[in-house]
Amino acid sequence: MMNDDKKIIRILEVCGTHTQAIVKSGIRYILPNYVKLLSGPGCPVCVTSESYIDMAMDLLSNEEVILATFGDMLKVKGTFYSLFEKKTKENVVILYSPEDAIVLAQKNPEKKVVFLAVGFETTAPIIATTIKNVQENGPDNLFFLSALKRMEPILRFILEDDRNKINGLICPGHVASVLGSDAFRFITEDFHLPAVVCGFEAEDIKKGVHLLLDQIDGKSPVSFANLYERCVRTTGNKLAKDYMEEVFYIEDGYWRGIGKVPNSALGLDKKYQNLDAKYKFGVKEKIIPKPSACQCGEIILGLKTPYECKQFAVSCTPENPLGPCMISSEGACSAHYKYGKVVF
Amino acid sequence: MCLAVPTKITSVQGNYAYAETMGIRQKINIQLIENLVPGEFVLLHAGFAIEKIDQREYLFLKKILNEMMEDDE
Ligand code: SF4
Repeated sequence: MMNDDKKIIRILEVCGTHTQAIVKSGIRYILPNYVKLLSGPGCPVCVTSESYIDMAMDLLSNEEVILATFGDMLKVKGTFYSLFEKKTKENVVILYSPEDAIVLAQKNPEKKVVFLAVGFETTAPIIATTIKNVQENGPDNLFFLSALKRMEPILRFILEDDRNKINGLICPGHVASVLGSDAFRFITEDFHLPAVVCGFEAEDIKKGVHLLLDQIDGKSPVSFANLYERCVRTTGNKLAKDYMEEVFYIEDGYWRGIGKVPNSALGLDKKYQNLDAKYKFGVKEKIIPKPSACQCGEIILGLKTPYECKQFAVSCTPENPLGPCMISSEGACSAHYKYGKVVF
Repeated sequence: MCLAVPTKITSVQGNYAYAETMGIRQKINIQLIENLVPGEFVLLHAGFAIEKIDQREYLFLKKILNEMMEDDE
């Protein structure tokens, strides 16, 4: 591969599953050392803001409320506490599917169940469908607190940041299977960067990285490619997109370590306000500046790798995580800690 | 939490299907997929089928997931 000036080439990936697959496959170690694979904001739990956890904590102080959540959320700290530190056996229930929240609410008619709706566009249609079903068929004691996020605005935010030195992108496979590969063409069209949708097999990722490197090296013209047609159609899952459009509206979102990103979140549309926990319980997001030993913000933006954080594997480990990237098993720091120790 | 798991549909009843995921039989929501029939394969995420996949991809993903789970043990 030609690269005379030996400049660093940075390829950003934005999918928790890709993060794990890349680290685990050891692809990093067979690439020339001037090629860096960076993990972007692919884990929705990692990017959930402190202020959102604080809102959940406010709800927890209401004795009528049971919080229903995906398990990963428990360890994520708000400004002071995580749900894990404040929960009792009764007031926080871990669920696998938002549909389980319906059963939970039916079983506890004297309580109000609030589902913590977190995820990207892979999860958003599922929550949209559940919300629509609840609106139509009840129960009337189930509510939703949305921290759902959109992928395109955060990618634009990263690529518009002058400090970013990203040369190519691996698009998130599962989000693309819902939105369609066309949803990521803007990376090439608006930012003139090579981008590829690829699968999760080591071979798929290698193929994707090589395609990007050829373009970065000028061997082939900059283009957008979908190498994962087995799962990702050009226009995605129309039904899923229709549900999202019906139930949500687009609003500004707060991202841990990053701050406010315009148009990056999904809130419940007015038609569904009766199911919106923010509206029902009058909780508000209070933004507090983040404390700073943790460098997740830079890692999520692709400006640093976990190894460049002084806390990594020293004071920050999966048992004692300082930041969100170490909390979730899909977070960049946690995946590197688990599979990437060979680098030391 | 972003994981989508390869799943085989065994029977369909309205908005729901019985399906087999990594050896486990379970009821899943299929509202987001049109015209799904038994014997077809889907990606399952948080209790919902989110996209149809072909058999080759189903086997591929199953293999990767099995490897990841073994590593976690
Ligand atoms: S290693 Fe820990 S402290 Fe450092 S960036 Fe990752 S999560 Fe934050």
